[in-house]
Amino acid sequence: MSAVELKPVRTRIVTPQNNIVDVIEQYAKDDVEPGDVVCVAESVVAITQGRLTRPEDLTVCFLARILNRFIPQAGSMSSVYGMQAVMDVEGKWRVLWAMLVGALAKLVGKDGVFYQMAGRQAALVDDVTGTMPPFDKHIVYGPSNASQVAEEIRQRLGCFGAAVTDVNDLKRALVVGITPGVDGPTLCRILIDNPFGNASQKTPIVIIKNYAATAGEAAK
Amino acid sequence: MIWLGGIIVGAALLALAVWLYILRQGDAHFEFVVDRRTPFALTELTTQRAVFTSRVPFVNNGTQDGTIMDAFTRHHLPCEQFDGVEVASRLHLETAVRDDGYFESVIFYKGTGSAVVVTVILTAKNGDIQATLQDMVDMPVDIMYQIVARSEWYIHKTRMVMTSEEIQQALAAGISKGQG
Repeated sequence: MSAVELKPVRTRIVTPQNNIVDVIEQYAKDDVEPGDVVCVAESVVAITQGRLTRPEDLTVCFLARILNRFIPQAGSMSSVYGMQAVMDVEGKWRVLWAMLVGALAKLVGKDGVFYQMAGRQAALVDDVTGTMPPFDKHIVYGPSNASQVAEEIRQRLGCFGAAVTDVNDLKRALVVGITPGVDGPTLCRILIDNPFGNASQKTPIVIIKNYAATAGEAAK
Repeated sequence: MIWLGGIIVGAALLALAVWLYILRQGDAHFEFVVDRRTPFALTELTTQRAVFTSRVPFVNNGTQDGTIMDAFTRHHLPCEQFDGVEVASRLHLETAVRDDGYFESVIFYKGTGSAVVVTVILTAKNGDIQATLQDMVDMPVDIMYQIVARSEWYIHKTRMVMTSEEIQQALAAGISKGQG
């Protein structure tokens, strides 16, 4: 039985003019086998869906100017534009309520409540510098219909499964969309060392070779 | 009515506390220290053109992390003042050398900094750069930079002057391999 092997795939810069499934087919098809799982970075999927904006194009509200001050600096919402971008999608009153409840929860030692309540984009949005040029000056939202995108990838490439993932160098891996039969926690463990590399390495696709024969079995 | 007054006073105290918190938190503040830049050095010389570079340090001396979203140069040499050369200029981060004039957004934590390398390309209109530069005048070069941090983005500029004297000294010293 072969071991799981990670194969990053280099592509050209992907833009809103591209279809992500077409891009994956173009660059990865020759390397994909029926037992593999194809993973793609969520920010790249979002870019192909046009889910990005420039800070200069956002109108910042008073609440965003206040609330961003209470987000730790490492978070995308610590900038007034990251905060406004999330408010535009999730609603500013929802974000305010999440922050109030999150603050109270912190007082009793419970972390992460704000991100649970503020909506999916609070966890997925990438502030400027979060993606490679020419999108480094953009705020990139999380993708929409991520599991549907994963299913389209699986069907087009004929692989075991596919996933849209958010992985970074801080040992954080999150499955945003996934096809049935692929185990999310197992995928996160496999991808935890960020085989996608940093933004400028242009490897937004990672093929997990032999997943069905090894990791898939282990997850059962 | 007492409860109403209590609510108003409470809201005012909360607003004051938030305002003080924000005031104390502060923001990023970037400074391009042109007084500590290196003199322009000659990095390329042909019959027609000369290329000069200077290293300019900068620091985020604010109280918050900040992002330089963009940075670029703007040179000022009107033909009314000196019509002998065509000027092009650009900059890149010292730690991210590139020649396309693009500046990749980058975060600098509070109290940290780096340097940019400013490149100025002078091309003689008459085809003889060395002769032309004998009459070159002082040329202001602005470093323009767009910052975003806790507050809304802004563009600021810091002026440096490429003096005719340092151009002559750089030409006399010949090609330097130190910067670029």
